[in-house]
Amino acid sequence: MKRIFLRWEMALFAMLVAEFAIFGAINPRFLNLSNLLYSTSDFAQIGIVALPLTIVIIAGGIDVSFASTIGLCAIIFGIANFFGLPLPVCIAASLAAGGIAGLFNASIIHISRIQPLVVTLGSMYLFSGAATVLSGVVGASGYEGIGNFPDSFTGFAYLDLASLPAPFVVLLVEAVILFVILHFSRFGRAVFLCGLSEHAARYSGLPIRTVQTITYVMTGIFAAVAGLVLSAYFGSARVDLGTATLLPAITAAVLGGASIYGGQGSIIGTLLATLVIGYLQQGLQMSGVPSQISSALSGALLVVAVALRHGSALLTSFVAARIMATNRKRAAS
Amino acid sequence: MLDFFARNRVATLFGVTVLAFILIGMAAPGYLSLSTASVITSNSLVLMTVALGTMLVILTRNIDVSSGSVLGLSAVILGLLLNNNVGLVPAIIICLLCGALAGLFNGLLVTFFNVPSIIATLGTLGLFRGIMLILTGGKWIEELPQSLKFLAENGSIGISVLTVVVAIAFVGVWAFTRYTRFGRYFYAVGDNREAARHLGIRVHLVQISAFVAAGTLAALAGIIFAAQIGFIPNQAGNGVELKAIAANVLGGVSLLGGSGSVPGVFVGVIFMTSIDSALVFLKIPAFWNDFIGGAVLLLVLLLDGRVRIAVEKAIRAKRYGVHAPAPTSTATSARKIASSTPKPAQENTQ
Repeated sequence: MKRIFLRWEMALFAMLVAEFAIFGAINPRFLNLSNLLYSTSDFAQIGIVALPLTIVIIAGGIDVSFASTIGLCAIIFGIANFFGLPLPVCIAASLAAGGIAGLFNASIIHISRIQPLVVTLGSMYLFSGAATVLSGVVGASGYEGIGNFPDSFTGFAYLDLASLPAPFVVLLVEAVILFVILHFSRFGRAVFLCGLSEHAARYSGLPIRTVQTITYVMTGIFAAVAGLVLSAYFGSARVDLGTATLLPAITAAVLGGASIYGGQGSIIGTLLATLVIGYLQQGLQMSGVPSQISSALSGALLVVAVALRHGSALLTSFVAARIMATNRKRAAS
Repeated sequence: MLDFFARNRVATLFGVTVLAFILIGMAAPGYLSLSTASVITSNSLVLMTVALGTMLVILTRNIDVSSGSVLGLSAVILGLLLNNNVGLVPAIIICLLCGALAGLFNGLLVTFFNVPSIIATLGTLGLFRGIMLILTGGKWIEELPQSLKFLAENGSIGISVLTVVVAIAFVGVWAFTRYTRFGRYFYAVGDNREAARHLGIRVHLVQISAFVAAGTLAALAGIIFAAQIGFIPNQAGNGVELKAIAANVLGGVSLLGGSGSVPGVFVGVIFMTSIDSALVFLKIPAFWNDFIGGAVLLLVLLLDGRVRIAVEKAIRAKRYGVHAPAPTSTATSARKIASSTPKPAQENTQ
C-alpha cells in the first residue's frame, strides 16, 4: 500500500484532482466532459514530445532540438504535399526526416563527446534554419505556412476515435507503447542502467551508444508525429510550430519525475504532468486569468513542485540520519 | 601542434575568427573597416554582458537559462521607472538591484532547496517573464527618455558610454576570477564541489554569488537593450540565454564547471556576432542566419571534441610510455613488453 501511495505519480494525480476542484469551483463549465476532452487537443503535442524526451533524460541525455524538429518535419510534409506526392508517402517522408534528425543528434554527441545539451542546442538552430530555408523552396518564404492539405489529413485532427479526440488518442497510444518499452522490456532496463551509471552499463556489456541513439531517434520520430498533428490541427505547416512546446515539454518530463541526472523517471508520471500543465493553462484561461499571469504561474508551479520534491527528499534523509544517530547512541549506552 | 591548440583554446578560436574575418574581407570588400568593427561591437554588447554572467554560473558547475527573462524584467522595470519620472541614475540602480534579487532567488533555489540548476532556472525563466508581462500588462514600453538613448550613442571615436561600461565589467570580472582568492573559489567549487567544501570554502556562498552576479549582469544587459533599441517589446531578451551558453561553449568554458576564461568568452561572443554581420555583407538572405549559425556552432564543437579526444589520448600515451621498460632488459621482460605494448594503446582508445 505504502509503495503505491507514496509514489510521485500519486502526488501528481492529487495535483490534477486539486486543479479540477479549484477550476470547477471557479467556472463549473470547466468540468464539462466534452470541454475536458476537447481541450486536450491544445496541449496533446506537449505530451507527444515529452514522453520520448523522458526516455532520453532517463538514459542520461537531454534533447532540446525537438522544438525545431517539429517545425522541420511539418515543413517537409508540406513540401512533399506541395509536389503532389500521395499522403502516405508525405507522412513517411516526414517521419523519416524526424528519425534522421535524431540520428544526426546522436551521432554528433557520440563523435564529439560533448554534453548533449550543447549539441542539441546547436542542432536546434540548425534544424529551424533548415526548415526556414526549405520553406523558401516552395515560395513560402520566411514564417509563412505551407497549406492546401487534403481534407482527409486536416480532418484527422478533428476526428473522433471511440468518442475521444484524435490527437489525444495519438498521445494515449504512444504512452502505452512507450510504457511497455520502457518498463517491461530489456531495452527499457538498459535505458535506466545507462542513465544511472554509464560506466557500470559499459562494463556489464550493454551497447550504450546504440541504446542512447535509439532514444534520440525515438524523440525525432515522435517530434515528427507532433509536427503532423499540429499541421493537421492548424491546417498549415509552419517553421515555428514547435517553439512553444520547448519549455512545457521539458517541464512535463521533469515534473513527471525524470531526474535530470539520469536513471529516474516514468512514462505515467510524464503523462500525468502533461495533463497537470495543460489543464492548468486551460483552467486559468477559462477562469478569466490573462495569459501573461498563467505563464508566470506555470513557471512558479515547476519551481515549487520540484523544490518540494527535493526538499522533502532532503527532509527524509535528515530524519533518517537523526534516527540512525539516536539508535547508535542508544546502542552505545 | 595538437597540444598547443588544446592548451590554448582561446588562441585557436581567435585564429579561426581572424581567418574568417580575412576570408570574408576578401569575398566582400569593405567588410574590414572600422565602421564594421563599431557595428559588431555595439551589436555584441547585450550578448557579451549576458554571456559574462552565464560564464560565472557555469564555472561553479551550474547553469543559468533564466537570464533572458531577467533581462526583459529588468528592462521593463527600468522603462516603467523612467516613464514615471524617476531620475536616470536611481532607475538604473533599482534596475540592477532587481537583477541581483532575481539572481539571489535562483541561487537560493539551487543551494538551499537543492533543485538542479537547469530546472530551477527553467522555472524562473517562465516566472520572471510572467512577472514582466504582468507589470507591462502585455503592452510595449515606448517613448523612453532621450537621456537613456544617449548612453548607446557612438561618440566621435565610435565608442559609446555603454561600450566603456561593458569593457570595465569585462576587465573587472577577468581580474576577479584570475587574481582574487574568492574568484579562484569559483573554479574550485566547479571543479570538485566536495573537495572545495572540505577545504573550507563556503560552497553555497560562492554559488549564490555567481547567480547574483549573473542576475546583475543580465540587468545591465537589459539597460543596454533598452538604450540601444529605444523601446522595450514583450519578447525582449527571448532566446539570448541559449546564445550566451553557446558563446560560452565556443569560448572554451566547460559545462562541467571549473574551466574557462573571460578572454575566451569575449572571442566566442565576437565570433557569434560577426557571423551575423558577415552574412549581411556576403548578401546572403536573412533566413539563412539560423542555419549557418547552427552549422558553424556544431562544426566547431565537433572539431573541438575530436581534438580534445586526440590530445587526451596523446597525453595518456605519454604518461604510460614512461612506465614501459627500456628495450635492453632481459628476455622475459622483453617478451612481457612485447605482449603488453599493444595493450596500453587499446586502453587508450577506450
